[in-house]
Amino acid sequence: MREITLSKAVNEAIAEEMRRDPTVFLIGEDVAEAGTPFKVLAGLVEEFGTKRVIDTPISEPGFTGMAVGAALTGSRPIVDLMFGDFIFLIMDQLCNQAAKACYMSGGKLNVPLVLRTNLGATRRSAAQHSQSLHALVAHIPGLKVAMPSSAYEAKGLMKTAIRDNNPVVIFEDKLMYQDKAPVPEEEYLIPFGKANIKREGTDITLIGTSSMVQVAEKAAALLEKDGISAEVIDPRTIVPLDEETILASVRKTSRAIVIDEGHQSYGVTGEIASRISEKAFYHLDAPVLRMGAMDVPVPFSPALEDLTVPTPEAVAERARQSVRGELFDAA
Amino acid sequence: MPHEVIMPALGMAQDSGVLVAWLKAPGDPVKAGDALMEVETDKATMEVEAAHDGFLTDLRASEGEAVPVGDVVALISETPEGSGTPEPKAEPADGPAEASEGSGAGAALPEGRQVIMPALGMAQDTGLIVGWSVQPGTKVGADDVLLEVETDKSTMEVPAGHDGYLAAVLAAEGEDVPVGEVIAVISADKPDAPVQRSRADAPAAAAPAAKAPEAPTAAPAPQATREAQAQEAGPAPARRIAPDTGGRILASPKARRLAAQEGLDLARLVAEGVPQPFHVADLDTLRAMPPAAAETPAAATASGGAQCLTAEIDGAALAGFTDWLARETGHSAPRAAALAAFAAAAWHEAGGTSGAVSVEVPGVGPARAFDVAPGTPLAALAPGDATPAVILRDLARTAITGVQLGSEAVPVLSLTRQGDLMRVTLEGRMPPPQAITFLNAFAARLADPLRHIL
Amino acid sequence: MAAKAAAKKGTAPKGNAEDYLRMYRQMVRIRAFEDNANQLYLSAKMPGLTHMYSGQEAVAVGICEALTDDDKITSTHRGHGHCVAKGADFKAMFCELLGKEEGYCRGKGGSMHIADQSHGNLGANAIVGGSMGIATGAALSAQLRGTDEVTVCFFGDGATAQGLWYEVMNMAALWKLPVIYACENNGYSEYTKTEEIAAGSLTARAEAFGIEAHKVDGQDVLAVNELTQKLVARARKGEGPFFIELDTYRYHGHHVGDINREYYRAKDEESEWKSTRDPILNFGKWLTEQGVVSEDDLVAINDEIRADAEAAVAYAEAARYPDASEVDMHVYVDSPELDAALSKQSA
Repeated sequence: MREITLSKAVNEAIAEEMRRDPTVFLIGEDVAEAGTPFKVLAGLVEEFGTKRVIDTPISEPGFTGMAVGAALTGSRPIVDLMFGDFIFLIMDQLCNQAAKACYMSGGKLNVPLVLRTNLGATRRSAAQHSQSLHALVAHIPGLKVAMPSSAYEAKGLMKTAIRDNNPVVIFEDKLMYQDKAPVPEEEYLIPFGKANIKREGTDITLIGTSSMVQVAEKAAALLEKDGISAEVIDPRTIVPLDEETILASVRKTSRAIVIDEGHQSYGVTGEIASRISEKAFYHLDAPVLRMGAMDVPVPFSPALEDLTVPTPEAVAERARQSVRGELFDAA
Repeated sequence: MPHEVIMPALGMAQDSGVLVAWLKAPGDPVKAGDALMEVETDKATMEVEAAHDGFLTDLRASEGEAVPVGDVVALISETPEGSGTPEPKAEPADGPAEASEGSGAGAALPEGRQVIMPALGMAQDTGLIVGWSVQPGTKVGADDVLLEVETDKSTMEVPAGHDGYLAAVLAAEGEDVPVGEVIAVISADKPDAPVQRSRADAPAAAAPAAKAPEAPTAAPAPQATREAQAQEAGPAPARRIAPDTGGRILASPKARRLAAQEGLDLARLVAEGVPQPFHVADLDTLRAMPPAAAETPAAATASGGAQCLTAEIDGAALAGFTDWLARETGHSAPRAAALAAFAAAAWHEAGGTSGAVSVEVPGVGPARAFDVAPGTPLAALAPGDATPAVILRDLARTAITGVQLGSEAVPVLSLTRQGDLMRVTLEGRMPPPQAITFLNAFAARLADPLRHIL
Repeated sequence: MAAKAAAKKGTAPKGNAEDYLRMYRQMVRIRAFEDNANQLYLSAKMPGLTHMYSGQEAVAVGICEALTDDDKITSTHRGHGHCVAKGADFKAMFCELLGKEEGYCRGKGGSMHIADQSHGNLGANAIVGGSMGIATGAALSAQLRGTDEVTVCFFGDGATAQGLWYEVMNMAALWKLPVIYACENNGYSEYTKTEEIAAGSLTARAEAFGIEAHKVDGQDVLAVNELTQKLVARARKGEGPFFIELDTYRYHGHHVGDINREYYRAKDEESEWKSTRDPILNFGKWLTEQGVVSEDDLVAINDEIRADAEAAVAYAEAARYPDASEVDMHVYVDSPELDAALSKQSA
């Protein structure tokens, strides 16, 4: 199978859906000729024109709100938010307007909107361009949240997001834009709420999101050398969350680590870990561990920034402790 | 000083650029602003300009080659000859990158696998080189002893780790070397001129020469990938042992559940000295232990939950019996002795572990434990200090008519009175069949004490 | 005032009798709705509270009478008037106010979130200025879909202090979107005089983006309607966007519970507006003067509407609350086409 970059996969997904459905359009800062700073959307304006690939002023709340209005009235906008950190700017439009329109109207209105943005530290971009803020939106009922872990996932999840009748936020890892993966030529969709078992194992379950799936897979490879068999699960979407696949795995392995690049406190790791603890308690042979980003603003210096995100080595070490029964008090 | 020409970062998500063409030839004079080369990223092709005046020299990347962002592709030198070193052909960076970590690595080091001062203890920062066991230039096997190192704890032999030739020795006998520092190089081919030096004379000679070519790799990469990050896992901590919890057994939820399902007694692991908390793996130890008397076959299928059973008997028979016992034997505590004997016998009948029966009569002195060996005559029963296997609480003289106190460490029989009826309550953790047999046997003896002694 | 506008328009009052009467009826309907809503609050029959539109009827009616059902509006926390003027039904509105199953939003939105998709009402919004993006986006969508729909964005003077407005006005002007920003300046931003929160002139703010701005007497339903008709027609031709500042007055406090409000507004001022500038009284007077209707006709209209409103209240009071099973319904909507594609793929 051909291999393409995650960037190209997203581009293809959007182009295919724009060809299929004339109501789909793109809106955001520098999405047209510039194709975004990451060049993900390069070439789309040539095919679809400036009416459907709309460059906006630097007015994130403005164009997000407009996308909500367009979505309420027969269009299917894809909002491009240049950096995930800017989500703080659009909170009212996303969380008070888009997320609630369907419920507040008793189902009369709906907002088929995709917000594509990114996450991920270690690009040396410092505290306002490096955050992984998906937990903020995952907290708000009415939004769906997809977290592709490869080019293949990015394409399938994007196409599904565009066809979903609800507001969907997709977080792409900006460090993965050039990562290649096999992506079929044929069209495919990836259903939301169906986790992907990336690797089967018997001793411990590693649940990773976005690029942390790769970290989990690398940790699993390290653990294999120690004779520890790790199962790796990619939930694909954190809202909806495929609880059953996760629980079934943990019931089998009796141990779990949840790895996510959002801040560890009050985040995705805590949510998934507590669901495991609640629903698979009597199957646990070790405390469920969370491994998120450190609870610090992302520092600029490479020497510091690299310390803030989970690494395969660190995950493997925690997994060894878990399997060896060394987690009394889960220190 | 020559200036480096570096593959620039041209896009936000770009790791490398393809050198499409050099626009100047080696040795050409260049001015700042001149187009030096054409570079293609996945999005565009663009010209890269010189940042300095001078001569383009030392081309290190050829046309068509993909060069990682940040790599040096050429130098702009003060003379057309440049550094005078032959154009290296895109050197793979594995060796030098590591070498840059250690201060002992010099420019003239032979190629090969590096040997570092190992961490031999938990809290060891350095190791003293006692002696080298191999001469520079000679052949070594991976398992051959290369040197002897002394730490604060002991002296040990360090194997070579790789097959090959000892191409460089970078620390001398008697030198204290920080853990992690390169102390030797083992090459695949026999070295022409093996290096031998001490740490003391290495850095001054090596540092300036080494710096120029290695600068790009020595600094953290501008966009490091997560895999490249430093390992943070320190030495494995010792297994955490639960502190004394005052009798409460610490076990994982799954271990506890499985133990209950299989009728396994985690207390036996405690007695065995297995460290807590217990995990599922510890159950194997438990399963391998010889069955305790309590673990009758029935136990294996028991639910493991707490039991609470009650029986009611006419109290008159017991009263008559104890009166008779006092008269006939002059026993000082006929009721306690009789109850202990009946309980012990019933417990034995139910397959319980042997042990004493502790009789507690609230308000009438301390508990008394009767060690009832089979066949002991009732008259000879006297309280002792044996560990109880069963507790019997005689509450018949209190106003209490029923109990439900929850299971304790051993089964508990409580006697209460309701008018002429005597009620016996059994509480404990045991398989249901055992509980039923026990209580039934005890009640039968209370109902017809004489039959018991006959 | 109404007379002035009609005279300027050069129309024969009797020729437009049907339109005039509909406007009159719609204003009376809003007033009747609000009077009943206020009573529901005061008698503790209504959960929560609500914001009265009374006094501003000519704004909603004058504008909405210039729109079709395909044209969209976005509304505010003070939105009952817009909702009625855009064609909503009393029963479903009162049911919504009381949190009943038959409400426009099945009781999930309440007073501040009534949406009536069938008449193009994209919903009230409880965030001040929160719908400015939505309205502008609806206009963008209309343009992209190649329709001639126009969107009117209702908001109050208080909302002009929100930054969102300036962002979307900029884009609306850049892209000539068919949106009309209708600022109902009722003189008060919650409990504060507008002059204390707004520097300079509001029309100048729109003009700074090159947006044509108008000021109109918001108590004169014909003046409002006439201006809106013109602007809507031009917006349909791609000459938008436009801004209208409508000078108006709210009779009640910020919300129904804001009763002791003399600390920020004098009673004299309120009675002055009510006695001399009431949009319904004045328009009714003009209609009788022009011989369009008699005073008796007006009384009959008022009585009929009042009875309608009371019947709707009674209906809503007797209506059922939503079943508990609805509490987690409508968080998400189904995506049948996506589901079909997914099942086809897995087959």
